[in-house]
Amino acid sequence: MDLAAPYIQRALLEMLLLAVPAGVLGSWIVLRRLAFFAHAVGSASFPGLVLASAWGIAPQLAALATALGFGAAQEALTRSRRLAPDAATGLLLVAALAIGIVLASDVIEVGAEVDTLLFGSLIGIAPLDVCLTAAVAAGALVLDAALRRTWLATGFEPGSARALGVKPERADRLLLAGTAVVAVVALDAVGALLVAVVLVVPAATVRLLTARLRTLRLGAVGLAAAEGVAAVWLADALDVGAGPALAVIGGSVFALVAVATALRPQAVPA
Amino acid sequence: MSAAVRVSGLSGGYARGADALRDVEFAAGPGQILGVLGPNGGGKTTLFRALLGELPVRRGDIALPGRPAYVPQTERARLDFPVSALDVALMGAYARTPWYRRVARADREHAAAALGRVGLADHAGATFGTLSGGQRQRVLIARALVQDAEVLLLDEPLSGVDGVSAARIEAVFAELRAEGRTLLVATHDVRQAAEWDRVLCLHRRQIEYGAPAAVLSPETLRETYGGELIVLPGGARAVGVGHHAH
Repeated sequence: MDLAAPYIQRALLEMLLLAVPAGVLGSWIVLRRLAFFAHAVGSASFPGLVLASAWGIAPQLAALATALGFGAAQEALTRSRRLAPDAATGLLLVAALAIGIVLASDVIEVGAEVDTLLFGSLIGIAPLDVCLTAAVAAGALVLDAALRRTWLATGFEPGSARALGVKPERADRLLLAGTAVVAVVALDAVGALLVAVVLVVPAATVRLLTARLRTLRLGAVGLAAAEGVAAVWLADALDVGAGPALAVIGGSVFALVAVATALRPQAVPA
Repeated sequence: MSAAVRVSGLSGGYARGADALRDVEFAAGPGQILGVLGPNGGGKTTLFRALLGELPVRRGDIALPGRPAYVPQTERARLDFPVSALDVALMGAYARTPWYRRVARADREHAAAALGRVGLADHAGATFGTLSGGQRQRVLIARALVQDAEVLLLDEPLSGVDGVSAARIEAVFAELRAEGRTLLVATHDVRQAAEWDRVLCLHRRQIEYGAPAAVLSPETLRETYGGELIVLPGGARAVGVGHHAH
């Protein structure tokens, strides 16, 4: 890995910045059982990326619009109480992928950049992407500071959250929106199909090791950063996308921790 | 005596056109414990939702001295959440903590003291999900104590708890009554409700309200519970209401 190469520096910086929202919001995604939503909201940006390619608009903008639309539809379907949240996510994901595939195969001639955004690329990370990720990292920290008590109380026992004086509906909408935005900034580096490797896997791994929220959040940020740096090295060495490299590393670490904690005689320490 | 909780002519429900609960009318004063009796689905939790302002109310009025504290049934809380008993108790201070501040030191002390009151001072650092059912119920009561509300709504706090927890919970009830707070306690235990100040019988509507001695007649209980098995006050006689008495 050539640390002097600007694309490596950008990739490393991107991964380190991405670790902040991945760890902070990722902890809530895991605790609030939104892992499937986090995966789906990234993958569902596919039709947006196809249209952006055809119309020559910024892919991030199109992906953001698609992801926020996905989050709004998810919220509306869940609120109707006629569909379980994960069923709503599955339904919307299938719809988004179907639209994207029809557009890409029959309607629009897509360029190579769509492939890049589906699977992520180290070389493709532009200075603007890094700036956007920095802004989203800062936004995630503010969102978490403002809403973590509401997310905690609501996730712990939704029926009594309002009686505690918090406003669960607004906070939950913002959690979905925040997840959508982080998924969009993650797709430059890791690809739309693999945003879960940064949004879900590090937090899920640390979750196996701790029963404390603070440790979970700090640990998830740290692990996401370490795995991100290792993924840049692996991707560069093997000339593969950063997303698949991160998926291999994150998946391996999760498997190791899962086996180690399963073999440990005692339960999770308090 | 001025009423702390006054409900008059209350009807409401979630579904359009269908009342989950109707014709509820009662008033409870400071320092009173009000037992809320009724079968599952009879409207006990629905009444609490109405008092919390979460039930669409179609008719009637509710007067309360501020936001009541609510103690949910313990099995509704997630056991896999990474929170300690103290973390849960601290949730009682969320309403008075601005988002940009940490929970105040006074509230942290208040939360620790509340855990002490329910007999769990030694378990403050224990993960909520590792506690026994009775201990979890006491943690949720400690959370309500931290809220420092005039009115407390407790949803079956004594169902399925161990003897030590039940004794401690009833001792806390007595303290809260002495402090002049009003407790509404949903329960299935008629004998227990007979020891409290007022009893409200619900079966999707108000069947009866008043002092236990006046309200807890076999006729009222039959109307309240239908065919469910209950225990009559004044003895260990189990009565299958709707069938014949043994």
